Amino acid sequence: MDAHSLELSFPGTLVGFEEAFTQLRGALDNADLSPGTRYNVELVFEEIVANIVRHGCQPDRKVIVSVTLEVGRESVILTFCDDGVPFDPRDRIDPPPAKSLEEAPIGGRGLMFVRHAATAFDYCRTSDQHNRFVVTLACAR
Amino acid sequence: MKLEIAEPVDGVVNVALIGRLDTPGVDKIETKLTASLVPRGARAIVDLSQVEFAGSLAIRMFITIAKALARNNGKLVLYAPQPLLQQVFETASLNDIVPIRADAATAAALARG
Repeated sequence: MDAHSLELSFPGTLVGFEEAFTQLRGALDNADLSPGTRYNVELVFEEIVANIVRHGCQPDRKVIVSVTLEVGRESVILTFCDDGVPFDPRDRIDPPPAKSLEEAPIGGRGLMFVRHAATAFDYCRTSDQHNRFVVTLACAR
Repeated sequence: MKLEIAEPVDGVVNVALIGRLDTPGVDKIETKLTASLVPRGARAIVDLSQVEFAGSLAIRMFITIAKALARNNGKLVLYAPQPLLQQVFETASLNDIVPIRADAATAAALARG
């Protein structure tokens, strides 16, 4: 496994997710990243793939997820591709901050974490009907 | 992900979570944790010192359990998150929703309160 790049392809299921996460963490063990940068890479992976597994899958067929990890000196780039239902994460609005338990929304924070961790992200729906989401994170030194 | 639930001490249940609160980890423990605390309206404190990772699904789980406990005259307090988890919690302003304290003693005092 290259310390600087990794390509994963897995079914959009909980088992596929867990196995892919294990492979990702193995690659990150060999990359020279600060603990904070590493945590953010894992967090972005967690939030994007969880969204695909939970919302992108369709009842009549399996969704396949591809993830590419590229570790450079200054940045880490994660590229996610899936053939699930169209979803542009840029359209999602972060939940407003709640000041009490009673008024707090239960969920909806995943993409907020991705935006907070990333220095750049981009989305497109490809001509072969895939969602393609590219997230760039700065390497803290 | 492991879940350890101790017998109540002075009316407070101490729960220890060990491992990763990613999607697979939350899936492994959420049902049992909810069933252990909510029906009895527990006043519970959750030790996060051995949790290496948490994302939005973990936060969702804590808020869901805290809301259910509040309806049942119970309470949920988290304590001792590792620094990187604490940063995630601050991004979500979680402490405004579910209290987070530095240690078991202050968490238990708040849960009892």
